[in-house]
Amino acid sequence: MKGVLATDKRGVRELGAEDLVGWDEVTQGVVLNSFDLEVENPALVPPEERPYSDFNSYTATVASWRVIKPVYNRDICIDCQNCWVWCPDTSIISRDKQMLGIDYDHCKGCGVCVEVCPTNPKSLLMFAEAEDPDAALSQWPEKKKKEKK
Amino acid sequence: MAITSVKNLKEFSTANERFEGAHLLCPGCAHSMIVRELMNATDDNLVIATNTGCLEVSTAVYPYTSWDTSWIHIGFENAATAASGAEAMYKARKRKGTLKDPDAPVKFVAFGGDGSTYDIGFQWLSGAVERGHDFTYICLDNENYANTGGQRSSATPVGAHTSTAQAGRVSYGKKQKKKDMVAIMAAHGAPYVAQLAPNKWKSMAKGFQKALETEGPCFINTVSACTTEWKFDPKDTIHITDLATDSLMFPIYEIINGRELNILYRPKNVIPVEEYLAAQGRYKHLFKPENRHVIEQIQKDVDEFWEYLQRREEAKV
Repeated sequence: MKGVLATDKRGVRELGAEDLVGWDEVTQGVVLNSFDLEVENPALVPPEERPYSDFNSYTATVASWRVIKPVYNRDICIDCQNCWVWCPDTSIISRDKQMLGIDYDHCKGCGVCVEVCPTNPKSLLMFAEAEDPDAALSQWPEKKKKEKK
Repeated sequence: MAITSVKNLKEFSTANERFEGAHLLCPGCAHSMIVRELMNATDDNLVIATNTGCLEVSTAVYPYTSWDTSWIHIGFENAATAASGAEAMYKARKRKGTLKDPDAPVKFVAFGGDGSTYDIGFQWLSGAVERGHDFTYICLDNENYANTGGQRSSATPVGAHTSTAQAGRVSYGKKQKKKDMVAIMAAHGAPYVAQLAPNKWKSMAKGFQKALETEGPCFINTVSACTTEWKFDPKDTIHITDLATDSLMFPIYEIINGRELNILYRPKNVIPVEEYLAAQGRYKHLFKPENRHVIEQIQKDVDEFWEYLQRREEAKV
């Protein structure tokens, strides 16, 4: 069961062998609590302050799915939040109308954020997973001039 | 009801996410964009039921859940029934005074794919809407049974290649037309019925808020581009959805009280459906000379339907 979804990045609880049953022994109907404590309305609590339980997929990671990753360039970003609204994996971290960065534990590297980025040059670009972020930032392309018609 | 401001994206982005990452949907799947948008559009407590489908199997893989709200899954067909049952129980307990916090606003939402909405769960959805429960049903329409390997559903459009309506020497893919689910639900007399697309995030968020606010059963059909079965690159999900709405394959409109039809998005430049079809692998075979007539037929159908929508909007019937 070790590593059902996850690498060891965000402290995934390893379910001990004594907790596990085979697929044909599982009781029908399972309740998984998203939080360890009672949260009255999660919509009013920012993610940082939520008491996530080990059953919440927030504590898991899908980082191993990626072969390419988006790298974020703060200097060009205009905080339009296009990447935030269209990220399918809740991996764009935005607080107080500002884009803060990418959640690499949950990003699957689909590249939607790069496609919808409106700046010139783009403030998000895809690089190889192994690429160092600083090295990636140093190869950022120059602003493209509009071709005169 | 507490709604999140959707005046602009910056304000919308202050919503606290309640749909967590590390679910197992394909990279670039539009399902999660739509679900996130619904959950960010409101601050109210949500009770969500989900039909079996990609969304359900990917967001509740034991021992994980991706939902920070109350969430239930029972069977392939009965999210509408589960949501209406929860809603009826909520009302009964409110009446009896046994709720812990009777004033907290709660909204009931059901999600289903097109297989469970158009085909398998159709009767159950119809029943729940007829009973008039106060819930919102959202169909994530990716035009096939993507969870089980891309079989045809009654939402699959003409000419698409699926694993049970294959294109080859004798066939050009699915031959039957797509069912007009929006019209069927409007005919139930549902107070709010709409077809929305995630690339037009504002009309989508507003539509969701309207549906949640409206008392009674509401139905929303959303276009969910499927990278795996429509066969395009994961990064192009929004681009493909743009093509779908701009070519009018998926017009965006709402029907209020089963009568009043409003078109919510009119593309400035309507593109030929050919562009939309060419961008996807599932229509590849239509570009062979012997199948060109299918593209012409699709274009004709799309034009006729758009004409019909405009006439209905004008006539207000």
